[in-house]
Amino acid sequence: MSSSKYKRILSFLVLVLVLSLVGAPLQVGRTATEDHTGIPSTGIVCTTNASSTFTLSANSGYINMTDGNKIFAWSFAEGEDDFQFPGPVLCVNQGDTVTVVLHNHLPQDVSIVFPGQANVLANGVPAQPQFSGSELVSLTNAATANGGSITYSFIAEEPGTFLYQSGTNPGIQVQMGLFGALVVRPAMGLNYAYNRADSQFNPDAEYILMLSEIDPLLHQAIERGETFDLNNYHARYFLINGRSFPDTIAPNGASWLPTQPYGSLAHIYPQDASNPLPALSRYIGVGVENYPFHPHAFNGRVIARDGRPLEGPAGEDLSYEKFSINIGPGQTTDSLFAWEDNYGWQESTTPIPVTLPNQQNLTFGPFWGSAYLGTTEDLPTGHASFNQCGEFYHIAHNHALQQITGWGVVLIGQVTFTRIDPPLPNNCP
Amino acid sequence: MSKQLRLSRRNFLKVGSGLLASAFTSRLLPKTLGHSGEVALASSMMSSAEDPDIHLIGTDGWIYLPGQVPIPGTIDQYYNPDPWAPEGLTTYMFGFANVTGLTDSQIKARKMKAQASAPLFWVDENQEYFVRLGNIGLQMRPDLFDSHTLHWHGFRNAWPVFDGEPHSSLAVPMGESMALYYKPYDPGTYMYHCHFEETEHVHMGMTGAVFVRPAQNGNTGLYPSGKFVYNDGDGSTGYDREFVINLTDVWAEAHWDDAHIQLPDWTSFRADYFLMNGRVYPDTVAPNGGLLDANGDLIPPAGHPELQYQPISSLIQCNAGERVLLRFINLTFANQAMSTPGLKMKVVGKDATLLRGRDGTSLFYDTNSVFYGAGQTIDAIFTAPDVTVPTKYMLYNRNLNRLYNPGVPGLGGQATEIWVHPSGSIPAQTAPNT
Repeated sequence: MSSSKYKRILSFLVLVLVLSLVGAPLQVGRTATEDHTGIPSTGIVCTTNASSTFTLSANSGYINMTDGNKIFAWSFAEGEDDFQFPGPVLCVNQGDTVTVVLHNHLPQDVSIVFPGQANVLANGVPAQPQFSGSELVSLTNAATANGGSITYSFIAEEPGTFLYQSGTNPGIQVQMGLFGALVVRPAMGLNYAYNRADSQFNPDAEYILMLSEIDPLLHQAIERGETFDLNNYHARYFLINGRSFPDTIAPNGASWLPTQPYGSLAHIYPQDASNPLPALSRYIGVGVENYPFHPHAFNGRVIARDGRPLEGPAGEDLSYEKFSINIGPGQTTDSLFAWEDNYGWQESTTPIPVTLPNQQNLTFGPFWGSAYLGTTEDLPTGHASFNQCGEFYHIAHNHALQQITGWGVVLIGQVTFTRIDPPLPNNCP
Repeated sequence: MSKQLRLSRRNFLKVGSGLLASAFTSRLLPKTLGHSGEVALASSMMSSAEDPDIHLIGTDGWIYLPGQVPIPGTIDQYYNPDPWAPEGLTTYMFGFANVTGLTDSQIKARKMKAQASAPLFWVDENQEYFVRLGNIGLQMRPDLFDSHTLHWHGFRNAWPVFDGEPHSSLAVPMGESMALYYKPYDPGTYMYHCHFEETEHVHMGMTGAVFVRPAQNGNTGLYPSGKFVYNDGDGSTGYDREFVINLTDVWAEAHWDDAHIQLPDWTSFRADYFLMNGRVYPDTVAPNGGLLDANGDLIPPAGHPELQYQPISSLIQCNAGERVLLRFINLTFANQAMSTPGLKMKVVGKDATLLRGRDGTSLFYDTNSVFYGAGQTIDAIFTAPDVTVPTKYMLYNRNLNRLYNPGVPGLGGQATEIWVHPSGSIPAQTAPNT
């Protein structure tokens, strides 16, 4: 049903894909670029610092939903950079002393908690929950409203995927966007997720998926300076890295998403002798719901949860495969994945074992190239295809299917894609 | 490639609407006589795109759900039962139907006669399996031109051409059909569903179970039945009987909306009914239906004319001492917690994967409840207690608000009964969910 809406979304797709895949110049958001020249169009965008010292400013701005709505939001930006949503992905090495200086430009006190990190200091003393009399007002020490600052520091003792988020009025502030990701690289090396040989991954295929949600009425109330009763909370938008589909598959730093720099399109090659290492997805559940996330065409091997490798006391491998990974509130999950060409079908030599119907008797998807990897076929006149070189696409989406819609519009929720290119060398741009 | 000779168990068991029955094959009968639609003996040692293992069509239909869901702000108006429903039925749905071996006119007659949940089928590991998927339209909604697809959910290394996700793949418009091919390498429990307008088509009922039998099957040295969930190498996943527990839910407003040409805001989703294999308790324990009449229409289960289009029973029967496999599937939009307080389940697989680390470390665990999310599957085995008189146990959703049918006294929803008989009382199982 709702074919008109479907077409509406497809028209967005036209825009997004034409601009993204045909290589529009990357005019990226400042945070995503200035400190990271030449960021790739897909994959994790790390914000790094030689001394692992980061300055974050809490400020406000607007983000765009793909149904055309503009949402007022709060988030962390690096230094005094322009507003971005969500906060930057901070990447550090195991053993680093990490320093985060928070400048708060918002009209409420703001703080940062670092789940999974031990012995966090705030201005040099152990960070503590904050009380006003007997009333708990913040989960940790805060920077005061309208210009206050605070410095957090901790030693990143354990490698893994972590969330950072506001600990002050968190039901409102995390929903408003005051969150980001922290990735701690293991001592074993950048190509490993953990200090285990079996956690090795392809560093060119590392992805982060921050799954969050938005109640637009909450954001509107905050924009108007009103209070919002969380008993009335009802999420209407479901985002990956701060974007709704199909913006999720637009490149990192897409020019038309100036405040939402992070895409989530995975871009891989078939796993074979020349490409033996799996890709890595780092999932983070930011919202207050659980998200059963389902990538088509491969089981993820879940190797860690909440920044801890799944291993026994003697190093036994306790990882397991899942085709739908359930990510709870505040949880992180690391998953290795690959696509393997089991069938080896080629049009000329080993065709698929069925004859496809005539083209006029089929509905073609916008990413369809042909049945064969590396081959494109001529499609019916008027059919817009975004396929460039016979690459394959597979969707990856939340299987709580109401959460792949948004406020009455289908297919603008937690949906992204995996792009599988033919083995190198290929004809892909 | 499509006509090679094979002797496989697939050809021995051609599955219809979820059950078994006849020793005849449709191909041995004049097609005008109709056929059992169920498990049939092999008539042919080959299958192909033209002569598929199973022929499914997508269409709309009506099912029966007890109780009432009032339309807020109205007097005596109900989302369920829908006033437009045919007599005895209550709820508009979309679904699949198994039309394997039927004539064109029989197939067309199945318009607005889909079933919930969808026909169950299974495939052997490494077996070539052909599905023909047709789309005969939505009779209640002539304004729509929805295509349909079959997405085999969880199929590893899928090729887009057979994945059924309409952005990356092909879909079948109304009046058309296409052949799908699978050669699964990975045993375990999967599900399938239409992926076109997926929020709507899944919720409306285009959901079913599919599983892959391991190559180890037949090894009676590892377990006497020779039936296994996975290639475990040690018999630890051996079982005697198997039952699919496919969970779905129904938001009555959304179903009414589809019949009455309205659109819901899916982010307001709130389920009213909690179904197991397309029925709510106590209908879940009613007998299997699924046989076809001369018109190719479903014959209702004995004594339950209202369950004509909900043919799959969830009643679990076994003998003392037997191992019973529960293949849990979740195609609701939420987590579910299926619980058997009186029985201990051993979880041996999740999402079509044997629960073992890459170094062989066992991750099996014992539990009384399985908590699992949308789009996930769980393989759990319990050993039937050593009873001397027939004894009943319950399997139900510990999300207790999902243990009711709206406006109906007594328990309902996602529940079924497990009847354990004294050793040797009932014969060996011949098909799942029997």
